Amino acid sequence: MSLWVDKYRPNSLAKLDYHKEQATQLKNLVQCGDFPHLLVYGPSGAGKKTRIMCLLRELYGAGVEKLRIEHQTIVAPSKKKIEINTIASNYHLEVNPSDAGNQDRVVIQELIKTVAQSQQIQSSTQREFKVVLLTEVDRLTKDAQHALRRTMEKYMATCRLILCCNSTSKVIGPIRSRCLAIRVPLPSTEEVCSVLSTVCKKEGLLLPPELAKQICEKSGRNLRKALLMCEACRVQQYPFSADQDVPETDWEVYLRETANAIVSQQSPQRLLEVRARLYELLTHCIPPEIIMKGLVTELLNNCDGHLKTEVAHMAAYYEHRLQLGNKAIYHLEAFTAKFMAIYKKFMEDGLDAMMF
Amino acid sequence: MNKLSLGDKTASSGLNRWVDPSFTDLPVENFSVSGRKKPCPFSGFKPEPKRPRKRKGETTGSDSHSHFLLKDSVQDECDEPWVDKHAPRSQAELAVHKKKIEEVENWMRVHTNTSKGGILLLTGPSGSGKTATVQVLSQELGLRVQEWTNPTGLELYSCSHQEWAVNGYSSQSTQFQEFLLRANKYNCLQMSGDGRASDRKLILVEDFPNLFFRQPSSLHNILRHFVKTRRCPLVFIVSDSLSGDSSSRSLFPRDVQEELDITNISFNPVAPTTMIKVLTRISALEAAKSCGRMCVPDQALLESLGSGSSGDIRSAINSLQFSSHPDSSLEKGLWRMKKDRGGGTQTSQGKTLSRKTQKKKKSKQMKEQEEEQAIGGKDASLFLFRALGKILHCKRQSHEEAEGADGASGPGLPPHLSEHHRQALLVDPELVVERSHMSGEFFNLYLHQNYMDFFSEVEDVVRASEYLSDADLLTADWTSRSVMWDYGSSVATRGLLHSNSQQVTVGFRPLHKPNWLQVNKKHRENCQAAASLFRSFCLTPISLQTELLPYLAKLTNPMRNQAQIAFIQDVGQLSLRRFPGRLKLEALTDKDPGQLLLDSEEEQEKKKKEEEEEGQGASEDGLLPSQPQPTANQVLLEDDDLNIEEYDSD
Amino acid sequence: MQAFLKGATAQSTKPQKDKATAGPSTEKKAKAVPWVEKYRPKCVDEVAFQEEVVAVLKKSLEGADLPNLLFYGPPGTGKTSTILAAARELFGPELYRQRVLELNASDERGIQVVREKVKNFAQLTVAGTRPDGKPCPPFKIIILDEADSMTAPAQAALRRTMEKESRTTRFCLICNYISRIIEPLTSRCSKFRFKPLANQIQEERLLDICEKENLKYTKEGITALVRVSEGDLRKAITFLQSAARLNVDKEITEHAIIEIAGVRLGRIMMDMIDNLLNICFRGTFEKLEVAVKNVVDEGYAATQILSQLHEAIIEQDLSDKQKSAITEKMAVVDKCLTDGADEYLQMLSLCSVIMQQASQNN
Repeated sequence: MSLWVDKYRPNSLAKLDYHKEQATQLKNLVQCGDFPHLLVYGPSGAGKKTRIMCLLRELYGAGVEKLRIEHQTIVAPSKKKIEINTIASNYHLEVNPSDAGNQDRVVIQELIKTVAQSQQIQSSTQREFKVVLLTEVDRLTKDAQHALRRTMEKYMATCRLILCCNSTSKVIGPIRSRCLAIRVPLPSTEEVCSVLSTVCKKEGLLLPPELAKQICEKSGRNLRKALLMCEACRVQQYPFSADQDVPETDWEVYLRETANAIVSQQSPQRLLEVRARLYELLTHCIPPEIIMKGLVTELLNNCDGHLKTEVAHMAAYYEHRLQLGNKAIYHLEAFTAKFMAIYKKFMEDGLDAMMF
Repeated sequence: MNKLSLGDKTASSGLNRWVDPSFTDLPVENFSVSGRKKPCPFSGFKPEPKRPRKRKGETTGSDSHSHFLLKDSVQDECDEPWVDKHAPRSQAELAVHKKKIEEVENWMRVHTNTSKGGILLLTGPSGSGKTATVQVLSQELGLRVQEWTNPTGLELYSCSHQEWAVNGYSSQSTQFQEFLLRANKYNCLQMSGDGRASDRKLILVEDFPNLFFRQPSSLHNILRHFVKTRRCPLVFIVSDSLSGDSSSRSLFPRDVQEELDITNISFNPVAPTTMIKVLTRISALEAAKSCGRMCVPDQALLESLGSGSSGDIRSAINSLQFSSHPDSSLEKGLWRMKKDRGGGTQTSQGKTLSRKTQKKKKSKQMKEQEEEQAIGGKDASLFLFRALGKILHCKRQSHEEAEGADGASGPGLPPHLSEHHRQALLVDPELVVERSHMSGEFFNLYLHQNYMDFFSEVEDVVRASEYLSDADLLTADWTSRSVMWDYGSSVATRGLLHSNSQQVTVGFRPLHKPNWLQVNKKHRENCQAAASLFRSFCLTPISLQTELLPYLAKLTNPMRNQAQIAFIQDVGQLSLRRFPGRLKLEALTDKDPGQLLLDSEEEQEKKKKEEEEEGQGASEDGLLPSQPQPTANQVLLEDDDLNIEEYDSD
Repeated sequence: MQAFLKGATAQSTKPQKDKATAGPSTEKKAKAVPWVEKYRPKCVDEVAFQEEVVAVLKKSLEGADLPNLLFYGPPGTGKTSTILAAARELFGPELYRQRVLELNASDERGIQVVREKVKNFAQLTVAGTRPDGKPCPPFKIIILDEADSMTAPAQAALRRTMEKESRTTRFCLICNYISRIIEPLTSRCSKFRFKPLANQIQEERLLDICEKENLKYTKEGITALVRVSEGDLRKAITFLQSAARLNVDKEITEHAIIEIAGVRLGRIMMDMIDNLLNICFRGTFEKLEVAVKNVVDEGYAATQILSQLHEAIIEQDLSDKQKSAITEKMAVVDKCLTDGADEYLQMLSLCSVIMQQASQNN
């Protein structure tokens, strides 16, 4: 038994639930028998990967669904060995180069070269090219992205790239200009709801529309999250009730409590406690930027008006530093401290105003 | 253990010591493997019935570099180093704190009277009197000291390195094991035969076979074996060094100490007052003996010698001998010059100095310390604990002093900046960081872990945290990191000092090791584990970690394997308790918790003294003395560096 | 000399013309070639809009010596195409392989490579004639494409090589940002800046391609294409091909182009920006949060939204001071975004500045 997310994932372009016009365009694209490099971008949970897999299936047939996980060792020219995991079918190869950290450039250079230079294994297939699917392209170092530029042109004949990322802001211009960009926006609330109820129907469950709406809101229109939530609801309680609590992830609850702790008291001692909680989140694999973002959202809910603007600035400032710096905790803590200070000042001013 | 002294010891004392074979029942085959041509294979141990001679040999060994140094200038009657000549012969002469002596004595009494021996580990900076204490005490208690010496022959060194490496090491550790076991056994044989005077003895190990530094586990195995059959006390002496190779931690990790029931007593550097006392006594004795043929050093010289050696009595005596020799006119001139510069205040006795003037001299002393190093002085390094304390406690001039000291410090800050006005600093942050022998990055981490305790206002914390954030940003770019490190640590330390505007006197605060490295490592490991365990979901790390895993924890999904289930339980769920229990604070303790206080005694206001002393008592009771150990962490970081370098190279 | 030139051009341009006129029918069978490669200029004359460089290269085609070259300029202005075309003309197809070494960022270009590969190649001496007896210049060309991504040590290692081998080798460095090339290298080369292509030239090219590919198009579509590509011909051609692929047998309209380019010029995007600005001027922070979240969720790249917002702000009825405050923040946000900061937080911060400024107005 697999997760609903995987179980009901559409596997052909025709079966996609939303952005149908785009699906048709993609179909046209593939029917020509040839397509340019693609840059698929959109927020997490919008269905980028699903779309790409549908496209590949359209291109190569059911063979692309026979996936195998391979462990590849790449030897960099500097004799350093890099281990990287790839997911591959006979026709395509999926790799997340940012797994290699600083060495991602070598992965780009060597892996794509080897793939591109090797001929298609089965000559009977109708396509002359293989597809390399690179995920999280926005996390590639600039060096690696530069390395990608020429590689893309050079091996065009034998290899197409599909780049997948959340945002094109971090993708350098030369790469953007070499790709056909495909934007995958999040599904609308209605679309999420309809997907949820379809899935529930297939499971033989009855999903009240109110609950569907609530799940959709909580998930922030992230379809993957919505489906996971829905399934968690099912575990929690069935039959569904319209006003049932949608289970949130532990870390979100934890983060909210952390935010509450910040708001309720502002002292070095409390900051120390907050630090311990931040560490706890980090050890639970929550990336620092997500922590920062979640914290900001929660804190913004807790303050008003003029203060919000200030918090928004601070958040942007420290999140930027967090991206640049080495040790996230410095910046997370600086942000928390700063928030505490301005919040404290704000409350004290408020008190003064009340007294007079 | 100090590498230098180890090498010297083996070189100078090894040869003539292992000549007389004491045990004939040893299997010779064991040693023939090593292929050495020594007449006696039992080189590792020698019963040493005559203590004074032994003591002398010992010190010559460890101070041989000063010996060489002196060789040219010191002739006829001066040929014996003062260190040996004036070696302590009684407890009273020991330049060690009474409590410490007592502690060691108690241990020795307890463990020699029962037939069950124990293991004692003495740690402390070199020249703090560890060996001397053991020697003096064992003499007084009537114990025979049996010492292990590394059997490395000089000719072995010179012949083939390979052979030496292969055979020498393995046989060394076997020899060591043999030594321990035989010494044990030998003891009981003696008991039946000889008189009572020699029946009790003590095994002393100061010199560790090299192998143990690389494979501490082999030492542990030998010790485990020893503990089972122990009959007589075993004393290990390990010198602390600041430069990173912290042998006591690697040779005797905490868990092994607990497992083998090893008592650890750590020595402090010799206190300046004690040091001066000893130096004065020696110089008085020598002056009387030489009848005016040597120049008697004055009090100021003694004082600067004392501070220059930073608590190492051995080096202090050596420099005393060196500088009071009539021939060394050059040095003499140097001392004079400095003394002149020091001015009138310097010549008066340290004890009679008012605290106020002492403080004024602080900056001057900084400079002087550097000059002292040129003449036999030790590189004054700081234990991390003290270094952190210097920054965190934020010593500044008090108001009166500032007014008294400088009327001409330039115009004050304009009114709108007046909140940034601070009194002059009493520490030099860059120097502190440099002397802590740590990279600025680590120092910052330590500061970050601990600074919060020293602040009372959120506003100050904001500023401080911002400076730390700045410091991290400065060193973010790896291409310029090597250059920026210094600036980064400077920004962090000075920023912290500046933002501590309240200057609350907090008294003693325990310091902790940074959690970040541990947290970061765990974060990385967990992320990797997540990626490898749940690869079949084909998700990007972020959605895997923030969406799939937490929900998997909430779902009942039977298809997962054992490892996945365990991982999800560990990572996917967060206990919603208020205070997370997973991270234990690891207290950063010092060799000497009192050291910080000793230091602050001089610098802080008088009224605080009592407080401090209370704190000292408390801390000695409460904290297990050990040493700051940055090295384990450093390894972690070095890995990172390595990656970066290789990245750079292609 | 003149004959050589004519021969060469004729030789190299002809096959290309044949192929081009054969059009899509042959292309189906042939390997799928991106139009960017297909319509790469095959001789120097075909290079559009870069007169100075063309003049210099033509001189050298006529027999004059060629200096070391440094081409720089924004992407898609024909830097690589120019030197490739020139090299092909100089050496002809047979000699091309042995006379030209092309290294780009996808190749390993550390200091070691510069020392060995480049040196070894540079040290070979060459004759002044082709195998077929025609004269050709007695030097080789090393093309270092994307030179700005070479490390500084590797660039430094190049200096001496460049001077020492000047007898037999010419270097051509190509980069986007001349500031990333170390000074000693720039001083050894004659520099040519490649301008972004003028709209008219671009339009001509695109129409030419449309004709050769038998595409249906609207005039507005082409205009939009030109506008969207911002002087980057490669981008324009890529977009054109993509549009052709996505809309088989349909006209290439303005709408299709805009959708491909992801530039928000259409109705929906304008509405979105208007909405955002409206909220900035009149709404509350809570509404702003929701609006920003929506924009990000729609998947548009923040950098694009930023440039759209910029245009909109300039046209807004605000005082100069307000505008400058906002645009200053925009610059900061742009920098942060390229550094990889979170889009939502940056946009929120920017919008709140706009809000702040706008509220000061009233």
